[in-house]
Amino acid sequence: MSNSHLRIAIVGCGKIADQHVQAIERIANCRIVALCDRELLMAKQLGERCGVLSCFSDLGEMLAAVSPDVVHITTPPQAHFSLASLCLESGSHVYLEKPFTVTATEADTLIQIAEKRDLRLTAGHNCQFTREAIEMRRLVEQGFLGGKPIHLESYFSYDLGDASYTGPVLGNRSHWVHRLPGKLLHNIISHGIAKLAEFLDDELTEILALADQSPRLRSLNGGDVLDELRVLIRDKTGTTAVFVFSTQIKPGLNQLRICGPVNSLLLDQNSSSLIRNVSRTYKSYLTFFVPPVQSARENLRNAWNNICDFAGKRLYQDFGMTELISRFYNSIKCSEAPPIPYREILLTAKIMDEIFGQIYDGDYLKVKPEPVPA
Amino acid sequence: MHGRNREDRSSQLQVSKVNQERMVLSSERILVTGSNGFIGTRVVDALLGYGFSSIRCFVRPSSRLDGLYKVLDRYSAADTVELFQGDLLSPEDCQRAVDGCSIIYHLAAGSDKSFAGSFMNSALATRNLMDATVGRGELKRFVNVSSFAVYSTLKIQRRGVLDETCPLEDSPQERYDPYGFGKLKQEELVKEYGKNFGLPYVILRPGTVFGAGKRQLSGRVGIGTFGVFIQVGGFNLLPLTFVDNCAEAIVLAGLKPGVEGEVFNVVDDELLTSGQFLSAYQKSVNRFFSVRIPYFVAYHLSCLWEKYSKKSKGQLPPVFNRRRCAAEWREVRFTNQKLRDRLGWKPRIGLDQAMASFLSQFSPR
Repeated sequence: MSNSHLRIAIVGCGKIADQHVQAIERIANCRIVALCDRELLMAKQLGERCGVLSCFSDLGEMLAAVSPDVVHITTPPQAHFSLASLCLESGSHVYLEKPFTVTATEADTLIQIAEKRDLRLTAGHNCQFTREAIEMRRLVEQGFLGGKPIHLESYFSYDLGDASYTGPVLGNRSHWVHRLPGKLLHNIISHGIAKLAEFLDDELTEILALADQSPRLRSLNGGDVLDELRVLIRDKTGTTAVFVFSTQIKPGLNQLRICGPVNSLLLDQNSSSLIRNVSRTYKSYLTFFVPPVQSARENLRNAWNNICDFAGKRLYQDFGMTELISRFYNSIKCSEAPPIPYREILLTAKIMDEIFGQIYDGDYLKVKPEPVPA
Repeated sequence: MHGRNREDRSSQLQVSKVNQERMVLSSERILVTGSNGFIGTRVVDALLGYGFSSIRCFVRPSSRLDGLYKVLDRYSAADTVELFQGDLLSPEDCQRAVDGCSIIYHLAAGSDKSFAGSFMNSALATRNLMDATVGRGELKRFVNVSSFAVYSTLKIQRRGVLDETCPLEDSPQERYDPYGFGKLKQEELVKEYGKNFGLPYVILRPGTVFGAGKRQLSGRVGIGTFGVFIQVGGFNLLPLTFVDNCAEAIVLAGLKPGVEGEVFNVVDDELLTSGQFLSAYQKSVNRFFSVRIPYFVAYHLSCLWEKYSKKSKGQLPPVFNRRRCAAEWREVRFTNQKLRDRLGWKPRIGLDQAMASFLSQFSPR
């Protein structure tokens, strides 16, 4: 397997599939051999643009005809479990777009099937494989924090002004997003939660979720969709985490802060930068002069790195996805562990289950969305 | 005021002439998709003006209907015009929407920035609508509203004429134009249904539609991508069509007998260059800093951008490329001869009045 070309298939030929095609085309020793979409025309339009002739509207037919090594599933999440099961049962490794599955139970079952058949699975948590996220992981592994993380903060914002997404979702109550247990949040927050799951223990002792509907979403006739979320988490080792999702915060945030017993790190994925906060003490008024200069130096270092990476063509839009896919393919070729440990995928799914249970069914929902006047 | 009366009389004469020649009765049902859009509301307006009362307006549940309500109020047509809420991506909704319709004016289009989204909302939605009509004998005309974006001007000579016989874009991926891609595929499907299922279609390709209700400048005038407005060329004619004139052409395409399978470009008689348009805009709206670069410079820069994009495997997306540059900024001329000859169309609103209407929306109230 290690020297041969991997034969790739994509199931679900909507918007995100284009990104997968671009990422796959950057990776050596693999090629897309088939496309599948319930709507054959969708498969054909993608096939026409990326030069793939084998297009199908039935996954079973595609698997039988092509037997791909890897299947990327980029359909709405409700179909992830059944499609991934079918692919695994027929012997293909599976890359599942986020959210991995609708529930943690489904995620667990898929992982069991994959392990039983010695196949590999991964989730589309590509934010964890950007250049700065990889650098952050390296520093944590080298002990930069000075011990286990004390506290984590993950901020993730989303702009409701993107009418190409919110228009169809809010305009159509039967849109698949409305049928997800966590609705709009379900389709968006897994990136932010997965970043926390990487540094949390599997056993969580507390999760408290509060959700609300923003005035902006209310004005867009958001119905029962919630778009403001705050979550507090504690694991059994005492590490705490905060997750903030907002459609209102400006400028938009996509950050992870890890506070250790000695030093801290701030990952800012909007500006592709990693700020190292090293604890030092200064005499008297120097406390007010030196740290800002050090912050400026950190920011300049990031800017310079980004310029160099851009010039070296290492900084591009879908670096994280390309890196994740590349590592996933390598894990298949070399029979190694997949790039995202299954425990992280499972923990992410469990946290999301708990959040949606609380905000849509449970007692913690403090503010219920007000009905919008006709 | 005097001018307005003359224009009203002229419109009445035109309405009367069209009413004599049209192939449907005013009581027959007409479906308009995208009816709450910039052009769609004017199409509904024109249809009501021609005396059609049984109009079904296909709207998305989330759509803002203010503009459409204003039109209906003006004709006191709120009771006779049906607002049909649905999704063109739902075959069931399409089946219900086309039921009993003699004419379909299909204006709904995808404005999604992705190729897949644009294809879905343009081509797939059109396919659903056409599927719903197959086997129903009642449909007399399917008016498909396309766009100038389907043309390729890469091989048209400078100052050559762009008409309905000109080549269509054969590489929309390279042009990096999702909207154009969606429209091209939509047209292909319409022609296929015409051939295979006898769909009585007419295709209209409007140029740059302008008027009150659309505030942004066309990309054919220039681009603001880099923080400063860059005007390319300045001598290129804009294929302008005032929204009311365009709506009139669309309506006629549904009413005129004997034009099945035909394609019509929609541009007005009097046109402005992009330089003239920008100048008028800046005089009336606000003066902002703009840089003008010659077409040949833009073409070569686009060429460089395109090469770098390919070499870097999309580090810079190929948003600037030779095909787009030629399509938007090359100096070509336009004709509406076919529209005039075959549909009997002539612009109701002249250029001066059209520009005044367009610019009036920026006046402080």
